[in-house]
Amino acid sequence: MRRLLLVLLATLPVSAAGADTAETVRFITCPIYRDTDAGKKSGCWLADDRASGRRFDVSRAPSKPDWNFEILVEGRVAAETRSNCGGEVLEPVRTSVLPTPCPRHMLPAEGFAGNRFALPVRNVRPLSEKRTPPAPPFADKTFHLVFDFDKAFVVYQLDDYLLDQAITWIRGVDPKRVIVTGWAATDPAEVSGRAIAEDPAIARTRAELVGEALRRLGVAADKIELRWKTAAQPVAADGADGLAEPSRRRADIEVEL
Amino acid sequence: MDLARLGPLAIAAAGLAALTGALAAPAAKPSRWWAPGEGRVFPAQLDYENETGTLRTLLVGGPMKTRGHPFFAPIGPNGRACVTCHQPADSMSLSGETARERWDATGGRDPLFAAGDGSNCPTLPQAQRASHSLLIDHGLIRIQRPWPPKDLQGKAITPDFTIETVRDPWGCNSGAQFGPTAARPNISVYRRPRPISNLKYLLAVGFAYDPKQGMPLPLDPESGRPMSGNLMADGRAGTLNAQMRDAASTHLEFLKNMSARDMARIVDFESRLFSAQIADRKGGALDAGGAEGGPEKLARSEPGNLGSQGPAPVWSEYAAWEKPDPSLSAEQRAFRQSVARGARIFREKMFLISDSAGINSPIGFGNPVRNSCVFCHNMTQMGNDVAPGQVDLGTTTQPFADPAPHLPLFRITCTGAPHPHYGRVIYTSDPGYALTTGRCADVGKITLQSMRGLAARAPYFSNGSAKDLRGVVDYYDRRYRIGYTEQEKQDLVNLMSAL
Repeated sequence: MRRLLLVLLATLPVSAAGADTAETVRFITCPIYRDTDAGKKSGCWLADDRASGRRFDVSRAPSKPDWNFEILVEGRVAAETRSNCGGEVLEPVRTSVLPTPCPRHMLPAEGFAGNRFALPVRNVRPLSEKRTPPAPPFADKTFHLVFDFDKAFVVYQLDDYLLDQAITWIRGVDPKRVIVTGWAATDPAEVSGRAIAEDPAIARTRAELVGEALRRLGVAADKIELRWKTAAQPVAADGADGLAEPSRRRADIEVEL
Repeated sequence: MDLARLGPLAIAAAGLAALTGALAAPAAKPSRWWAPGEGRVFPAQLDYENETGTLRTLLVGGPMKTRGHPFFAPIGPNGRACVTCHQPADSMSLSGETARERWDATGGRDPLFAAGDGSNCPTLPQAQRASHSLLIDHGLIRIQRPWPPKDLQGKAITPDFTIETVRDPWGCNSGAQFGPTAARPNISVYRRPRPISNLKYLLAVGFAYDPKQGMPLPLDPESGRPMSGNLMADGRAGTLNAQMRDAASTHLEFLKNMSARDMARIVDFESRLFSAQIADRKGGALDAGGAEGGPEKLARSEPGNLGSQGPAPVWSEYAAWEKPDPSLSAEQRAFRQSVARGARIFREKMFLISDSAGINSPIGFGNPVRNSCVFCHNMTQMGNDVAPGQVDLGTTTQPFADPAPHLPLFRITCTGAPHPHYGRVIYTSDPGYALTTGRCADVGKITLQSMRGLAARAPYFSNGSAKDLRGVVDYYDRRYRIGYTEQEKQDLVNLMSAL
């Protein structure tokens, strides 16, 4: 089953080519903020992999680091070599804030320009903009929201966008039932010399949170069924951008017609 | 001339003049103070002078008789009405100066100084000025919150923190009747009344999601509609109806439920009010020379637009003043250009925002994040937050808050996860939004305020800790180590005085 899922991951249309050949990294470190000033949100986030001694530019993570805490870095080394921040660019990349404190560290710009702000692709639109309703034929469909490690927070400009896609579709099909399954990646993994695994309880929290979100967006409470499971395996989740590990930390929204 | 501003002697003199004056004498100018139940007609346009210029309030739809109107009628036993704390001259809020004037004019007998919340604590001797010092000297009203809180459906919330009183200068946070150890636990905090003009902007829902909470907006249990979250300092009431019920039962001591008809009349009145500065003493008319200041534009514009995506950047109302007008006096020209520069600084001067919950966590912008004032004050024409605005700027919470020995101090201990920026133990004079949610991560978060009519309603911040607009700029400059130049500070002050 696991092999089948990994094969599925490799067939993702956008990221499959990169996933087959590009190097992926996963490590824990204290983040470094580089104080570049190319306008709003232009500061750089760097992360040093202590094992390899390599410095990575993780600025493209949808959920960015906190300079007071360790981060779990998960990403793919991008083909582009030029960084405006200083470091090998990871794209796609996820950074999860961990509870372990770090000394703050800020580097000056040192000639690096930083990245000028550009509106992310997954930018949820204002209510004043009309959504495109789904077109028939309709069939059962599953949506995925992905989360940071051990978190149940709907990530801004990632999950809210995906949730908006889901609710637009749900509103268009008037489903019989919506099953929300929260998953936790509870199988231990060794990362940077330590074993990490998600708290099993986060699965339920994710399910309840997404269930409440759907209710607030207009899905009748009696149509929503909540489930929670552990030992999550990778799936082809749009929000994970082909990264296997983040895809295990998710909530599935199964829409039954 | 404003008699109330000149004190009791002037009022007595005016009264004598009225008694002895000729019948042909023109009618006295109405008092600046709107007393409950006095029955004045609220005009379609109402101007009041303040320190930097003139505030204008429009009542869209024309004049309204206030006699018997539930906003103006004292419905509770303490003689207050809604208008008591939402005065037209103060941009439908209540300035500290007005509170002082009322004390001086009435010796503290005005219903404004009702023991329940117009004094530092009801247990204090009410005839003494010192017992009302928070209102008179800082513009603060006592807000008593039940502890632990309940959610919108009335279900009890289990907080993830404990709260203890460290300092209690007025006795309202300790003892058998008041405070977290009282028989019916409660917590008293002290806050500025919020203005009730320009409400369509505060009620606007620009996006379906609250990125600070990582959730779609909460729903009004009555209507099922999403709530903006921009009404109350601690987000305890998300609709005007809920706010009215809360205010009537606490500030007005009204023991019955307000009728649906009365609430509808108040909503109708409040929804038609638009206030903004219309003239500056140095710069002249704020809607001249291509500028679009004043309340008229507010009345006719669509609310809820994000400055970075909407039809106009925040405070672009003053963009035309960037080009100097040689026909103006030097003073007028200098002021207008300063306002225009202030608008640009507000939008474009970047600084590092750090350790502020609701901005740096948990939203994902990162800690720190480089941005400007408009990052949070992002709604065009209003400067409140398109996304609901509970953020922690540190104005009430140590170590960022200015010393405030006149306020209580609480020790919060997080029993679950530590606060993302303060850790497990937090000292605060007002836990803010956490009094509504029961979450340690929300300690110190306060709903962003609208920026219109600022000149009419000092002091600023929810706890009145900035006595003037310069104090606001100086606080931000300290808090985020922005490094504003003297000129930039003055430009920002001039901008804010013209809103």
